[in-house]
Amino acid sequence: MSRLDKLLAGWTFRTATPEFEADEVITAFVSERNGSGLSIRVGDSTIRVADGKDAAVEDKVRLKVTSFDTDSHVGTGELVEVLGPEG
Amino acid sequence: MPEEPDIELSFRGGRLVSALPIALFIAWAIFQSGFLGIGDTTGLVTGMLTGLIVGMLFVRGDWKDYADVIFAGMTRRVAATAVVAWLWAGMFAETIQVGGFVDGLVWAATVLNVGPGLFPAATFLLAALLATGIGTGYGTAIAFTSLVFPAGLLLGANPVLLFGAILSGAVFGDNLAPVSDTTIVSAVTQDADIGGVVASRVKYAVVAAAFAIVAYLIAGFGIPGLWSGMPHANVTGQVSASVSPWGLVHLLDIAVVIVLAIRGRHIIEAVSWGLIAAALFNIMLGAAGLVDVSAGSMILFSAPQNGFTQMVDTLPIIGAVVETVPGAQAGVGGSIYSGAVGFFPLIVLTLLLVAGAEVMRAGGGFDAIQELIIDTIATTVRRAETTMVLGTALVNATVTINTAAEIAIAPYVATLGKRFNINGYRRANILDANTSALGYIFPWGGGLLAGFGAMQGLVGGEATPWFTQEMLVNPASVFPYVFHGWFLVSVFLVAAWTGYGREYVSDRTSEEVSRV
Repeated sequence: MSRLDKLLAGWTFRTATPEFEADEVITAFVSERNGSGLSIRVGDSTIRVADGKDAAVEDKVRLKVTSFDTDSHVGTGELVEVLGPEG
Repeated sequence: MPEEPDIELSFRGGRLVSALPIALFIAWAIFQSGFLGIGDTTGLVTGMLTGLIVGMLFVRGDWKDYADVIFAGMTRRVAATAVVAWLWAGMFAETIQVGGFVDGLVWAATVLNVGPGLFPAATFLLAALLATGIGTGYGTAIAFTSLVFPAGLLLGANPVLLFGAILSGAVFGDNLAPVSDTTIVSAVTQDADIGGVVASRVKYAVVAAAFAIVAYLIAGFGIPGLWSGMPHANVTGQVSASVSPWGLVHLLDIAVVIVLAIRGRHIIEAVSWGLIAAALFNIMLGAAGLVDVSAGSMILFSAPQNGFTQMVDTLPIIGAVVETVPGAQAGVGGSIYSGAVGFFPLIVLTLLLVAGAEVMRAGGGFDAIQELIIDTIATTVRRAETTMVLGTALVNATVTINTAAEIAIAPYVATLGKRFNINGYRRANILDANTSALGYIFPWGGGLLAGFGAMQGLVGGEATPWFTQEMLVNPASVFPYVFHGWFLVSVFLVAAWTGYGREYVSDRTSEEVSRV
């Protein structure tokens, strides 16, 4: 990313409930762990991952979105890779 | 960091009692500077010492651990950074001052017809420029209060408004400068590259600065300049006779500092070169008879009169910095001496304050607050960001030395932000803007006290013989006028609520931390 791009990034009003498409791959931090599942909150939208493997809260992960409901802002996804706390 | 100690402390009455030393200090500071109007930094040192002693009485177990935590705090790098910045900036500012820089600014303001109404807005812009260049808001507050503040008073600008404008400029630079210690802390603690952090915060800084300029213009023309008792007419007459543009050559050594700082040189190196240039200019200006300055204005050994010292006084070169005086008046003086000495009380205060923050960390006071915030307050992204803004503000209100406050709150901002996948750049910006702003607003804030210390140095100063004790601005009266600071906090509160500038981790990943 160039210096100019960095300067011009983010001059917008970003929603509190971002939306995702099925099959989209995103990078994010794990917000919560419940049982073997994970919750990843991006703003006030949540993506649930049923099989969280060994990812811990605050680990950075790459995940593939499998579904996303634009009304409730809740979706599901599956883990692609655990990048770890430093990732 | 290797200096992170593992000692944990347990306090009678729970983890929040670990905040007692700092809480007592704040109460002391409010009583001393707010109620009684005493701006004595050494008095605040006494307050912090008292706080640290009282805090010890509440420690369970071995009091040696408490002592070790105090040592660990005092030897933190952040404290050393502040000490170095003050010593160097102090010597530099004082040396420019004896070189007639104030006279030069008064001359320039007169020629450019910058009247008392326009002066605060112009001061804000110049201070912002200097602070962005040298990266130290404290240094800017000190330099501008020493150099530009008296010039503004002579032109009839309102002293409280003028001091507010200087502090606003310091806030701007502290927030935006790539070499600012708060900028670096904000980027490193939020895993973001410094260049990206600076580029991404322009969108907040310019909005706040635009409002601040308008506010200084309105206030500059709206608030009367002089309180009763200021001998304006006499002062103006006295200075206009001696005013000379030659001190403006010191803009060159300021430029040296800014250019070196922008090129990424260490503050010690950048300011040292500026100081060397300033000293050479002073010697040349003095030798040419253009400004009343000499080597003895910068370093002067006033030795007790005897045969040997009188002989040394007549020697070439060395004799220029030695004079003989009656025994009781012996001492060392000059701008390099007084510029550094002026900060001794503040340096001691900073070391003790950082120790107090370390006690709070080791005693779990910070953790207790974090748990409360995450579980009960920050339940949506708007509330999380608002909590980050207000939490940073609150810690800056308590820790008072803004870099130390920033280090203390940084882990909360990281944890809270990651919970909602708020981008590292955004987290760093929320952290740094509010740290920069609040550190110069509260009457006991380190940045404000640094400027106030410089103002005290004007009383009876060589360059400002007209400046009296009554002309000091009460530190408790300036907070409404630090416009850029208030607008910056407001911009972030609005941004938290509306999503202005918000970015998520999934939108854009920040680059390597170590790159600039």
